[in-house]
Amino acid sequence: MRQALEGSQAIARAVALCRPQVVAAYPITPQTHIVENIAKLVADAQFQCEFVSVESEFSAASVVLGAACAGSRAYTASASQGIMLMSEVLYNIAGLRVPVVLTCANRAVSAPINIWNDQQDSMAVRDAGWLQLYCADNQEAVDTTIQAFRIAERCELPVMVCVDGFTLTHTLEPLELPSQEAVDAFLPPYAFSRTLDPRAPLSLGTLVGPDHFTETRYLHHQAVLDAEKEIIAAARDWSSLSGRMSAPLIRVDGPPGARIGILTLGSVFGTLLDAREHFGGEPVRLLHLRAFRPFPVEALRAATKGLSDLIVLERAISPGADGIVAAEVRSALMGADSPPRVHNFAAGLGGRDVPLAVYARLLEAIGTPQPRMSPIDLDRSQLSAAAGAP
Amino acid sequence: MPIMTPGAVAYPGTSLTFKTGGWRTARPVHRWVPAPCHAGCPAGEDPCGYVGLVAEGDIKGAWERLVAINPLPAVTGRVCDHPCEGSCHRGAYDSPIAIHNVERWLGDEAARAAWAYPLPLLPAEAKTVAVVGAGPAGLSCAYHLRRLGIRAMVIDRLPLAGGTLRTALPSYRLPREVLDREVERLMATVNFLPHTSLGRDVTLEELTREYAAVFLAPGRQQPRAWDVDGRVPRDLHAALPLLEAWVAFGKVPEIHSAVIVGGGNSAIDMARVLARTGAKVHLVTHDVRPAPGVPRDLAMKAAPRDIRQAEEEGVTVHVEHAIHHLILRGEKVVGVELVRVKKLARDEGHYEIVPFEGTETVLHVDQVIPAVGQTVAPEGMESLLAARGFFAVDGTGRVPGHDALFAGGDARAGAWGTVSGAVGDGRRAALAIEAHLSGKAQEPARDAEPITFSGLNLNYFEHAARAEEIVLPPDRRLALEEIAAGLSGPEVALEAVRCLSCGTCMACDNCWTVCPDQAVLKMHAPAGMRYLTDYDYCKGCGLCAHECPVGFIAMVDETS
Amino acid sequence: MTPPVDFQLLRAQQPRFQGLDPGHRACQGCGQALAARLTLEAAGPDILLANATGCLEVFTTAWPESAWRVPYLHSVFANAAAVAAGMEAALKAQGKDVKVIALAGDGGTFDIGFQALSGMLERGHDVLFVCYDNEAYMNTGVQRSGSTPHAAATTTSPAGVARMGKRHLKKDILAIIAAHHIPYGATASVAYPADLRKKVRRALQVDGPSFLQVHSPCPLGWGHGSELSIEVARLAVQTGLFPLIELERGALIGAMPIRQIHPVTAYLKLQSRFRHLFADDPRAREELAHLQALADHNIETYGLHAESPDGLDSEGADTVRRGGLRSA
Repeated sequence: MRQALEGSQAIARAVALCRPQVVAAYPITPQTHIVENIAKLVADAQFQCEFVSVESEFSAASVVLGAACAGSRAYTASASQGIMLMSEVLYNIAGLRVPVVLTCANRAVSAPINIWNDQQDSMAVRDAGWLQLYCADNQEAVDTTIQAFRIAERCELPVMVCVDGFTLTHTLEPLELPSQEAVDAFLPPYAFSRTLDPRAPLSLGTLVGPDHFTETRYLHHQAVLDAEKEIIAAARDWSSLSGRMSAPLIRVDGPPGARIGILTLGSVFGTLLDAREHFGGEPVRLLHLRAFRPFPVEALRAATKGLSDLIVLERAISPGADGIVAAEVRSALMGADSPPRVHNFAAGLGGRDVPLAVYARLLEAIGTPQPRMSPIDLDRSQLSAAAGAP
Repeated sequence: MPIMTPGAVAYPGTSLTFKTGGWRTARPVHRWVPAPCHAGCPAGEDPCGYVGLVAEGDIKGAWERLVAINPLPAVTGRVCDHPCEGSCHRGAYDSPIAIHNVERWLGDEAARAAWAYPLPLLPAEAKTVAVVGAGPAGLSCAYHLRRLGIRAMVIDRLPLAGGTLRTALPSYRLPREVLDREVERLMATVNFLPHTSLGRDVTLEELTREYAAVFLAPGRQQPRAWDVDGRVPRDLHAALPLLEAWVAFGKVPEIHSAVIVGGGNSAIDMARVLARTGAKVHLVTHDVRPAPGVPRDLAMKAAPRDIRQAEEEGVTVHVEHAIHHLILRGEKVVGVELVRVKKLARDEGHYEIVPFEGTETVLHVDQVIPAVGQTVAPEGMESLLAARGFFAVDGTGRVPGHDALFAGGDARAGAWGTVSGAVGDGRRAALAIEAHLSGKAQEPARDAEPITFSGLNLNYFEHAARAEEIVLPPDRRLALEEIAAGLSGPEVALEAVRCLSCGTCMACDNCWTVCPDQAVLKMHAPAGMRYLTDYDYCKGCGLCAHECPVGFIAMVDETS
Repeated sequence: MTPPVDFQLLRAQQPRFQGLDPGHRACQGCGQALAARLTLEAAGPDILLANATGCLEVFTTAWPESAWRVPYLHSVFANAAAVAAGMEAALKAQGKDVKVIALAGDGGTFDIGFQALSGMLERGHDVLFVCYDNEAYMNTGVQRSGSTPHAAATTTSPAGVARMGKRHLKKDILAIIAAHHIPYGATASVAYPADLRKKVRRALQVDGPSFLQVHSPCPLGWGHGSELSIEVARLAVQTGLFPLIELERGALIGAMPIRQIHPVTAYLKLQSRFRHLFADDPRAREELAHLQALADHNIETYGLHAESPDGLDSEGADTVRRGGLRSA
């Protein structure tokens, strides 16, 4: 049934449909509405789970780790500083190859403190060994959340579902929530292969020395690469159940003959769709990188085939280096057949509005020489002369 | 190479492949160390062993362990001055184990239950050894010979076996029936020829000719000569004959007041007997009271308990005094002049009794009774006695120059002069005789040093009061009735539990409990063998040894 | 010649639950290894363990080996309580009757793990948190922690011309735990194994969070012989420096009386971390007096003076019995 729901509420209900037995969370803007909605579902007996209101994100991650190892499906959500605080445990969960699902309500990272949306937080933990799936809209957030549990459990890897804070979490959109039957069919009860059980005691979290550490890292790396197959399978299977097609790795929208492409992650993709329609002009291919981990090298090469120029629009930067996503895109396209020139811009940092006009400015900007990476929406009037005021 | 698992999971039991024993520089070993009570027992008993069995509830086993050393526990449990208790480490903790009462109870219990002495069958070709004297030394020797598969023929001048136990020990200390019962049971295991005096009825030559070996234990029957400055009262009685008369007939000549001279058991018994007849009794000795730390040579030979009881019964004890002059009226004593003395060490092993002028006092008494010891009655053995009238023997009891001639008991030079000392002499001689007869070289006795008090770990024990027996109050002590009631079975059991088990594993599980490496394993085996160290994993930390309450575990260096 | 013993079989037949195998790499005389072994003996097999980073984790789980025979999870340093809380939540959701025990050192309890611990207690998880208190960061080379006693020398609170070791007091963690109003909290010591096991059993019987602080000497970090680990732990108790007490809902319900109170110097002089306190220096004398005052304060606060030297306190004391039966 199609209904208008706030993103957070939709995500909360999608989580409940997945029947995690343990949910642990600590409040942080803009994730709060998700966990508040889950708490309310639990309070209203619409959702049976152990809802653990922990004292920190660090403990939230630790609780879901413990719960998953004890054999339960487990879920948490956070953002920004919370992701930073739990980052030690995030690495640990992934290294232990434990399947949990986390919603990251993407937000800027302090300092300066800023509660609004960009993607610096999830990008900061991109090397933790988690799968990262980015959502362009709230329907995708619902569908990806459900798929994430299956992917996590089949791969024995944790999945971070990245949803832009406020832009998605706090906005109402008409969307379809699947039935419990559909979700149950898609996501059967799960038993972790290394469940802690007194009848067959295992030791998890062992000390691995130099003689064996490379092999653990290699296996982990391979597992994340191999997850691509499960991401694709989950998208396929879910679309046959839900009737909604969702691109597993990269969503490509635009005429085949387009020479210019714009790649982005998250809700800006919708803005660009609108802008392209609004401005018209030369054909532009829009790409939404849904799977950032594993990084879909082959899918990217296929999706960018025929492009002469590819603009990578970042929602986070790595100060002193390229944009984070652009660097990976450049690396992935290196050695491809006639790869496009890659242009790199940031936009919408710390929640700055990304208006339709950004689309036009991007297309205009690639006609002139640009730094390897710069914010397309930089307001130079705020800068001192020394800092590059006009 | 092991195959890497997802998340580097590991499986139970896998650490066992890592043998940490290689880290060790010292290994714990179990080693029995003699308890001080063992070292302190003249009979050679190991009280720690049999008290431990009592604590475990194995009463018969305890008695058997006890009589493997001392066949007369009901007797020694009563009359021995129990130096074992003086050396008991529990004494330094709270108060010593009442070993004598455990021993006494075991002896009584064995008689009550009529347990047979555990003895091997006597082989047809068993040799026979003559034992002269049926006192404690002779009986012990005969019994131990029998245990070793050798027949014993005991001869004694008296009609009944028992020696001094029978002739000179008052029944308030050793009831007749107790003595009869235990000696009777023992005598059933040996042959006895009563009414037979050496020198009168049989000669030493005959004995040495007819028997495979001879053990001489005639005791000391001849009172030492005594005088003060060459003067002796005309009506002088020596203590031993008086005592023997009292033991045999319950009578002594009427004496109103007396000074007993001497600090040994005879002196004390004499004093107590006279006190029972209503006499005013003084006891004068140049020794000091026995107490922990007082050298044996300086202390009264009588047991502290007996001295105390004598005093309770009205005897006045004058320690470190001597008779300076006899005050005579004619040849009869009317008093003595005492003087304070001190036994001062002179050259090696010798003491000089030094009187102190100006400390003289006078006691008005009508008798002076010397109890200054006896010597061996030499009849039939004159050629063997050393200069001072005793047998000089080597450590095994052998008379030098005579392969098959052994001696012991009170007749031996340097004897303890106690029943348990005599029992020990008899056992040692029996072992030497057996070695001699079987042609085996006897291992020289090498008793390890007993465990020190600091060798125990007392943190694992609790204070507990010593079981005290009921003793008749002085005003109710009759002539014959036994004074000390001993302990009941339950009291003995509780007392045994107090034993610190010095140097002997008591299977307390402590080593098993404190090992951080589970390298101590527990087995179904008797204490002492119950724990096994798995040296594959033992890192040699030493906790088991340090925490062993009884000092049964030692760390042995492995680096060299 | 006795037949060779089948150690493997004998090991399998030991009449106690063996949750921690040998082959672990704890130092000789490790108090923590002993404490963990005793804890598991009392807890039995139906448990899940969550272990903080530290010596215990390092010496028991060198992959591909593990010394554990119970389900075990080590995550990170600070989160043992939270991981345990997650386990407990999962078991509760699954309706399983399995107990959860969190194991951490004093660093993972007093300091870095404290927040997670406090949260777990506040939320009322049915978890026993056991702190093996060896009074410093031993795994990283003996750095001071919030549990390090006053005046003890560590590598980050060394003694020198200007300092007499740690300047601050040992954190009274049990008082803080007590403030959470949990059903049961106690201190224990490796020197009193029966008491320790009794407290583990008691803690596991209560519904809700429980806490046990086990004094566990570290021969290397404290500077004493490996054979003295128990001796030292015992003296900590017998001097009053480490009182053995039990709390229910924050209220004192029991304290093990000290039969013979030793001066603190008896405890301190065995350990090189306190060596500087025995120098001929007025500051050293003052610190000794300070430590004695702390012990006296404990004795008074908890009423540790035994009424009599008799067996009144035998319930907690590790009196041995012939044949292996202890009083507790």
